[in-house]
Amino acid sequence: MNYTGLSKLFSVFRIIKESGGLRASLYKLYRMDELKVGTLMGTDKYGNKYFENNRFFYGRNRWVEYAPYYRLEYDGSQVPAEWFGWLHYKTDFTPDNDPGRPKYKWMLDHTENLSGTPQQYVPYSTTTQKIDAWKPPCPK
Amino acid sequence: MLRTAAQRALNGAFVSPKQLGVLVTRGAGDAKKPAQIEVFIDDKPVLVDPGTTVLQAAALVGVEIPRFCYHERLAVAGNCRMCLVEVEKSPKPVAACAMPVMKGWRIKTDSEMTKKAREGVMEFLLVNHPLDCPICDQGGECDLQDQSMAFGSDRSRFTDIDFSGKRAVEDKDIGPLIKTIMTRCIHCTRCIRFASEVAGIDDLGTTGRGADMQVGTYVEKFFLSELSGNVIDLCPVGALTSKPYAFTARPWEIRRTDSIDVLDAVGSNIVVCTRTGEVLRILPRTNEEVNEEWLSDKSRFAYDGLKRQRLVSPMVKVDGQLQPVDWETALIAIGKKIKSAGSDIGVIAGGMADAEALVALKDLINKLGSEDVCTENPFPVNGSGTDLRSSYLLNNTIASAEEADVVLLVGTNIRLEAPLLNARIRKGYVHNETEIGVIGPQVDLRYDYTHVGDDPCSIKDLENGNDTFAKCLKNAKKPLIIVGQDALNRPDGSGVLLAAQSLAALIQKNVQDPQWKVLNILHKVAGQVAALDVGYVPGYEKLKDNSKLKVIYLLGADEAIERSQFPSDCFIIYQGHHGDCGAAIADAVLPGAAYTEKQATYVNTEGRAQQTLVAVSPPGLAREDWKIIRALSEFVGQRLPYDNLDQIRCRLEEIAPHLTRYGNVESANYFSQALALALKESATVNKKPISVTQKSLEDFYMTDVISRASATMAKCVTAYKTQQCSKY
Repeated sequence: MNYTGLSKLFSVFRIIKESGGLRASLYKLYRMDELKVGTLMGTDKYGNKYFENNRFFYGRNRWVEYAPYYRLEYDGSQVPAEWFGWLHYKTDFTPDNDPGRPKYKWMLDHTENLSGTPQQYVPYSTTTQKIDAWKPPCPK
Repeated sequence: MLRTAAQRALNGAFVSPKQLGVLVTRGAGDAKKPAQIEVFIDDKPVLVDPGTTVLQAAALVGVEIPRFCYHERLAVAGNCRMCLVEVEKSPKPVAACAMPVMKGWRIKTDSEMTKKAREGVMEFLLVNHPLDCPICDQGGECDLQDQSMAFGSDRSRFTDIDFSGKRAVEDKDIGPLIKTIMTRCIHCTRCIRFASEVAGIDDLGTTGRGADMQVGTYVEKFFLSELSGNVIDLCPVGALTSKPYAFTARPWEIRRTDSIDVLDAVGSNIVVCTRTGEVLRILPRTNEEVNEEWLSDKSRFAYDGLKRQRLVSPMVKVDGQLQPVDWETALIAIGKKIKSAGSDIGVIAGGMADAEALVALKDLINKLGSEDVCTENPFPVNGSGTDLRSSYLLNNTIASAEEADVVLLVGTNIRLEAPLLNARIRKGYVHNETEIGVIGPQVDLRYDYTHVGDDPCSIKDLENGNDTFAKCLKNAKKPLIIVGQDALNRPDGSGVLLAAQSLAALIQKNVQDPQWKVLNILHKVAGQVAALDVGYVPGYEKLKDNSKLKVIYLLGADEAIERSQFPSDCFIIYQGHHGDCGAAIADAVLPGAAYTEKQATYVNTEGRAQQTLVAVSPPGLAREDWKIIRALSEFVGQRLPYDNLDQIRCRLEEIAPHLTRYGNVESANYFSQALALALKESATVNKKPISVTQKSLEDFYMTDVISRASATMAKCVTAYKTQQCSKY
C-alpha cells in the first residue's frame, strides 16, 4: 500500500476526519494555514488547546490552537504564562501535572498584548500644556 | 524739569545746583539762539549748539561714550562716573553726560587718562556687584557685562575671596511685575528719575550714602503705575527684572518679531520675543511718533493671557452643548444657517478685529444682501456721522501732544485709556508748562489740572464763559481738546460731540499753526478706527431691535454682549481667539488668531495704519481671521475674490488706500464741514455727570479678552487692592 501512495491519501482522510469534517478542515486550513492533528495535552482557561504530535520534528511537534472566538485575531501573547514554558520546550510538564509550579492567590491573571486596541497603554506627557483651551460652560 | 524743580523748591525740598543749572541754561536757550561753537572730539572738529554736553557732542561724530546713569529721555544725574573723559588742559577727567562743552575744547575719548578713569570706575562698580551673572536674568543684555568687557581692566585688585565684606542689600517687594535683586544695583537712579519724571510717581528714592546707599521705596509699598514695567528696560543691570519672565530664557535663544500692540488704541510698537512657539515676553520698540521707547504695563505683561482660555478648535452646539468638531463640519453647519437666513444677518465687530477680517466679513455680508455691519463700541452718528474721518480721529497725532500749551480732557481717564498719550501730556506739563483742564470725574492723572466741570454742559460754559481756564483755552497757541469714549457713549453723546466740535472751531481760529488740529477723539480699542474707516456702523443698537434677525456673526465681540439682546431663535456665530462672553452665548464658534499670530492691519486712534507680524502660529486648529471668512464664503455660496494676503490688501486699498500705507498718518481735515452738518440736527446735552469706566488703576489691568485671561494682570489687581489696605 505504501508503494501506491494510497497511505498518504488515507492519512489525508484521517486528518480531515479528526479535524471534524471537510468544512471544519477547510476553515482550519484557512485560519491557521496548516492542518495538523495530534494529542490534546490540555486546554487553558481561555479555551486555547495545546497539542503534541511527535511525528513532526522537534520545534514543530507542540502547537497551540487558539480558542475559536479569536477567529483570525490571534497572536502569541494570548498564550498564558503557565503554558508558555511547555510550548517553548522550557519544560516537558504540562501545567496541570507540574509538581514544582508555584501557585499563589496574589498572582495576576494573564493579559494579552493590548496594543492597537482601545485598551492600549498610551504614555502621556506630565508637562503642563502650553495652551490652555477654553471649555464651554455646561448648560444649566 | 522746570516745573519739578520749582515744585520741589516750593515744597521746601533741596534743589541741587545741577537742577538750577538746567533752569538757567533752559531759560537762556529759549531767549535767542547764539552761534554754534566748535569743539574737537579725538581731534575731529564738530560744531554744536551751546549747552550741548560732551556726550552729545561725541555722539554727533559717532563716538559712543560708555554710560550707566545717563539716558536721553531722563534728566541728567551724572552719578555713575562711567562717562569720564579727558579734556585737554583740564587737570581731572570730566563727566561727559553732565558737562556742557566750551569753545575750543579738545576732548579725548580714547586717551590713557580716559581709559584709566573708566577702568577705575568699573573696578569700583564690580567690587560691590555680585558675581551672579550665570543666574541673573539680565545676562546677555546687561550693560555692566558689556561695558566691563569693553572698557574694564583685565585684572582686579579685589582680594576678598572669602566673601566677608561684599555689599549685600535686602530685596524689596515692589509688586507682582518687577523683581528686585537690590544687591545688583549700581545706583544709576534711572528708575527713580523715570518714576518721578515720566510716570509721575515719586515712590522710588535713595536712602543712605556711599556704600550704604540703597534704592527703594522708603516704606513697604508697591510701585504701582501703569508704566512701571519700563524701569525693567531702563535698569542697566539685573537689579530690576521682569517677574513673569524670571528664569525663562536667555536673550540669545529668543526669536524677535516686530509687531504692534492692540490692547489699547495707541498702537504701541512692540517686539514679541518667542521661543518654541510660545510668547515669552513683550518689549517696546522705539517709535518716536507713537510710544517713544515706553510701553504700558498691560501691553507688556498681558501676554500670558494669550496662552489661557484659547479657542483651539471649531465648535458647534449639539444638544445644547458646544462640541469640538473639525473645520468642514463647522463650516457646513454654519454655511447652511447663513444660507437659510438670507439677508437677515447682522455682524458685530469687537475691539480687536483687524482690518483684513473686517473687510472680508463686510464683503461677505454685503454679498448676502445685508447692511447690518456694526461695531461693538458706539460712536455718535449725527450730522456727518463717521463719514468724515476728522470726526473720529485723534487728529493732532500723539507725538505733538507734548507741544500743546492747553489741553482739555473731556470724559476720559486718559492715564488708563492711553497711558502713553498721558505720558506725552505729562511731558508737556513738566517741560512746557502745559495747562490741563478736565471735564468729567476727578481722576488721578499724575499731574495737576483744573477741574472744569462734571457734566457736558461745562463744554458750552467754556465756549461762552470767561473764567480763567476758558480764557486760557481761548488764548492758547496750541490748544488740544481730547474727547474720550465715555463722554460719547452716553445717550446725549451726539450733543457732547457737537459741543466739542463747536468749541474746537471757536478755538481753532486763534491757532496760528495751520497743521495744528484742536479736536481730538481718543478711542479705547485698537480695531475701532479701522472698522469706521471701512464703513462699519458704530454701535449695534439697531440689531437689538431687529426681531427678523436670524444669524448674528460676532467678530471678537465680547464686552457686555448678552443672549437676551437678540431674538431667541437667532443663531449666534462667534469668531475670535478667546473664550469669553461672546463664545459663551454662541451656537457655533470659529477659532481665530490673536494679534501675535497673524499678519494684520490695525489703525490706531490717530489714524496711523500699522501691521502686526506673525510671531507664533495660532494654537490648535485656529486660523487667521480673514482666511476663516474666506473659507466660509465658499460654503455660503458667495465666494470672496481674494486668496492670499496680497489680494486682500489690494481690496483694502480699494476701500481705503491709507490702510496699507503702513507707518503713515493719513490726516483728515474737514472740521468745518463736519460741524456744519452736525449743526443741521439739533443735539442737546443733559446735566448728568460724565462717568468713566476706568476710574482707578484697578480697572486698568483687565479690560479685554486677553488681559482678562491673564494671570499676571489678575495679580496686579490683587496687588492694587492690597496696597489700598496698606497704611502707606
